[in-house]
Amino acid sequence: MMTSKHFLSPASKALAVAVLFLAAACELPPRNSASGVSATSSRQQDSTIANEEYVMVTTAVTMPMYVHHDQAAFKKWGKKMGVKVSILGPAEWDVPAQINTLEELIGTRPTGILVNGTDPAIAQVINKAVAAGIPTVVYDSDIPNSNRHAFLGTDWYEIGKMQGEEMARLLKGKGKIAYMGILGLTNMESGFQGLLDVLKKYPGIEVVGKYDDKANVEEAARITSDVIAAHPDISGVCGFDSNSGPGIALAVREAGKAGTIKITTVDWEPEHLQLVKDGTIQMLVGQKRELFTWYGAQFLYDMVHHTNNVGIPYQINTGLMRITKENVDEYM
Amino acid sequence: MLKKIIEDRVFSLLTMLIVVVIVASIVFPNTFPTFDNFRQILLNLSIDTIVAVGMMILLISGAFDLSVGSVVAFAGCMTAYLMQFYNVPVPLAILAGITASLIIGWVNGFLIAYQGINPMIQTLAMMGIVRGLALMVSGSGIQNLPYWFNAIGQSKLFGIQMPVWYMLLTVGTFALLVNKTIIFRRFYYIGGNEKAADLSGIRVKRMKMIGFIISATLAGVAGILLSSRLGAALPTMGRGLELRVITAVILGGASLSGGYGKISGALLGALFMGIISNIMVIARISGYWQEIILGIILISTLWLDKSLQKKYSTIA
Amino acid sequence: MFTLSKITKTFPGVKALNAVDLIIHPGEIHAICGENGAGKSTLMNILTGNTQPDSGNIIIDNQPVVIQNPQQAFDLGIAIVHQHLSLVDSLSVAENIYANQQPANAFGFIKFDELHALAAALLETLGMSNIQPTTIVSQLSPAQKQMVEIAKALSRKPSVLILDEPTASITEKESKTLFTILRKLKAQNIAILYISHRLEEIFLLADKITVLKDGTSQGTFPVAVLTKDNLITKMVGRTLKTVNPTSSIQQEVLLEVKNLSGQKFTNISFTLRRGEILGFAGLIGAGRSEIARAIFGADPAEGGEVWMKNVRLAINHPADAIDYGIAYVAEDRKSQGLFPMMSVRDNVVAASLPQAVEGKFYSESAARKMAMTSKDDLRIATPDVSQQVINLSGGNQQKVVLAKWLWTHPEILMVDEPTHGIDVGAKYEIYEILKSLASTGKGIIMISSDMPELLGICDRIIVIKSGKIAGSLLRDEASEEKIMSLAAN
Repeated sequence: MMTSKHFLSPASKALAVAVLFLAAACELPPRNSASGVSATSSRQQDSTIANEEYVMVTTAVTMPMYVHHDQAAFKKWGKKMGVKVSILGPAEWDVPAQINTLEELIGTRPTGILVNGTDPAIAQVINKAVAAGIPTVVYDSDIPNSNRHAFLGTDWYEIGKMQGEEMARLLKGKGKIAYMGILGLTNMESGFQGLLDVLKKYPGIEVVGKYDDKANVEEAARITSDVIAAHPDISGVCGFDSNSGPGIALAVREAGKAGTIKITTVDWEPEHLQLVKDGTIQMLVGQKRELFTWYGAQFLYDMVHHTNNVGIPYQINTGLMRITKENVDEYM
Repeated sequence: MLKKIIEDRVFSLLTMLIVVVIVASIVFPNTFPTFDNFRQILLNLSIDTIVAVGMMILLISGAFDLSVGSVVAFAGCMTAYLMQFYNVPVPLAILAGITASLIIGWVNGFLIAYQGINPMIQTLAMMGIVRGLALMVSGSGIQNLPYWFNAIGQSKLFGIQMPVWYMLLTVGTFALLVNKTIIFRRFYYIGGNEKAADLSGIRVKRMKMIGFIISATLAGVAGILLSSRLGAALPTMGRGLELRVITAVILGGASLSGGYGKISGALLGALFMGIISNIMVIARISGYWQEIILGIILISTLWLDKSLQKKYSTIA
Repeated sequence: MFTLSKITKTFPGVKALNAVDLIIHPGEIHAICGENGAGKSTLMNILTGNTQPDSGNIIIDNQPVVIQNPQQAFDLGIAIVHQHLSLVDSLSVAENIYANQQPANAFGFIKFDELHALAAALLETLGMSNIQPTTIVSQLSPAQKQMVEIAKALSRKPSVLILDEPTASITEKESKTLFTILRKLKAQNIAILYISHRLEEIFLLADKITVLKDGTSQGTFPVAVLTKDNLITKMVGRTLKTVNPTSSIQQEVLLEVKNLSGQKFTNISFTLRRGEILGFAGLIGAGRSEIARAIFGADPAEGGEVWMKNVRLAINHPADAIDYGIAYVAEDRKSQGLFPMMSVRDNVVAASLPQAVEGKFYSESAARKMAMTSKDDLRIATPDVSQQVINLSGGNQQKVVLAKWLWTHPEILMVDEPTHGIDVGAKYEIYEILKSLASTGKGIIMISSDMPELLGICDRIIVIKSGKIAGSLLRDEASEEKIMSLAAN
């Protein structure tokens, strides 16, 4: 005769019930994260807004290029319009920290948010801001999967294309090229692609390598001198981040090849301009970063104040500047 | 009561926290003391806290791990890579990610405990290697992760997002383990005097290995959870995490020389840093100041601790 | 002439010195005796300017003085040779001797030639000319380091030289050299304050003895009127008989070591019976601790076998040894036996955590109970078991370490220099503990450099010389001379 035993002990039963209950109480995230529909209108607002404040959220908040161009223009705009502007974000390139800052910011209901489009992963938090009724504009790199109200920025593919075409011209269609930038960033990959697509048309040009200079001048210099050592006949180097140029130039100059090895790169800080003037760098592709934030802030303002009944532009390409020895003095 | 505040870091940190919360609520009555804001604070510090639990255990035993930030990135990126490019089912990919983290911890533990390599140097080297691996595997990041993977970090339970619950589960589990089990108690002895611990029959090398495995595994779990919450795996995740976590843990009562600390301290330390960070967002204080203020808090805490200890503490 | 009059010093909770009088004459070796905690250190700290008395006077050559800091003490002619060395390992002998008073030129650069010459001359007068002034201190033996420490104190040409346990880490031979030096200094009219627990030395050297007990002076006596027994009585307040030679040895062989070899010893074989107290004598560095550590699994053995109760033991780590029932109380309790910042309670349960449980989980109250039991059984002096163990005196710290090992319920207990740096009262208590353990059938191996101690309680003494067994002496036939002749060249 078999004696019946309890299948589960009372403790296990209680645990099983608890787990089932919790599973049932669980609220799953919404299926579709992005709608892709442009939302250009905000909640109805009075023209007089209490605590009017526009907040910029970026990563690497202390990076000189950001401070001198994006943030300077933003502050200048705030002064001109007589409204409060604030700048927030982590000192490191820490996208999760930028997301955390945005999430905490949303709760304080700023009048408008200007976000540096650092990574597609911030789409979710942008949507949160939009859903909370806060006008949100993205600048620098676009986050197309989000519901952002507007985007202003540079077409990075163009940057690569410009560099490719200049290099091909300087090298007369023949030679070896290396390029570098920060690996792991979407916009930079676009730039790389633009460069490569142009160079494909020149079978006489050989690409010897793609390198990560980690946004570091010494690293860029080190990579360049290694490349020169490995390929003594290297004819050109392209750079894609702010610190690439100075680093590449340093190594090329130390190898005694200034002017012989052609350099094209991005940005136009004083050190870049000087290098163009003395002939070490042949071309700079300059972004008009001031326009990102000046007009970005203006879009926010206009959205909030219903300046024009039809809302604001959806997407703006702020364009590029081509700086060579010929016109470098205009910028200095 | 005053004696308790002085001697027990957890208690004094809790008191400081309460004071800060009250003051912030008075100064920012509309934005700070809201359910939404507190919810957000907890969510934002959940990842760091999980890593902090592992770091606290290591610091109790007198060691620390500088590679945790990289492990966070690598675990998330590797799991995403497997799901995206090899269509590995979600649970298996997660298991692979956690296992990879465990192996990293094992390597750290082996080289440090059995081969005698200096922990700072070893984990610093590992930090570079693992970050490189993360970059290799994920390029500029892997987006659009599977729904059920994202659901882990984005679902809510009773209105609070899951990472917070996982964090509480981790803190609770390890607090119990450290307070109540003989095995984890041994970490204190190792931190107190490693030679004496070895001679007292504690298998020091084995325990230290276990410590590094726990640290790396928790970092891996945190990384996978972070990717799930973001819906993406970024190779830049976890940059600067190790210093933040070590700061939180020291605030919470750990000592760099070992032998001190409680798991609850790790939570409170992270909580304190999260609240300060939140207040700075609300007050619109930016970048430079955040780090300066945190540095000042850390130095003041340690200085206050040392001077009060000299005067009063003889009780262990 | 130095006079301390009615010196009183109170620390929170304890009166360290209570109206102590002390007169020091030049050309006199004056011993200070007392248990640890009697106030000797505090008195010396006051003399050397490290702390100030709450009340009382210090009078030097009929002038009252206040010694505000150590530099002032130097200037007044007071120098101290510490028990714990104050030398810098990475610098040379000469640089250490003349630390802070190096001969220098106008720019502040050290004149090394002069420095070395001065040092050589000083070492010569002290009969220590075998130590070169240019040798780096880290290369010296502990005994030589102690000698350099003494030279350092003497370089200041003191009129009062204080020595705190100077023979604690040096051998008999060096001690004799030291005594010769001290007698020379006495002849030069320098006053010497000699603090030591080694009563034989005191009777050899001192002219007068001042006894401190619980912060009060029990009087100053010419050495001729005291005997060892009544000195001890004055120090601890009870007549401590010399340890009586009863033996608990049984027939059964507990431990058998066969041809054990390691880095510092070869072919060690011996047996240990139940209830036996076996002593290991030998010079410092002979390899005794290494033998015990190898048996205990703290160091790897290179050859040989260890058998216990007819079973061959496989020990790779102290945890294995403890499982077999072997315990080892290490030589240096501060670095190897104790967890200094942890409580008495946590120290006591360190090797037996599985017993500090309620059900399956660690329980602080269970640990506390264990600690309280130990506190009572071993008479550990501490306000509470939650006290940090670093605050206890040396003797009580050693009892805590013993308590830790007793909780592992060992069959075999190896103790290494168990009474090093411990006051007389606590020493005898530890002997009693060891003897009672032996009487319950445990086997004890005692490594010691204190020969009276070994002769007092061991059933048998094995003498180790240069890593080998030089001889074995039974209690009845053993003597200091025989041990020394086996141990030394």
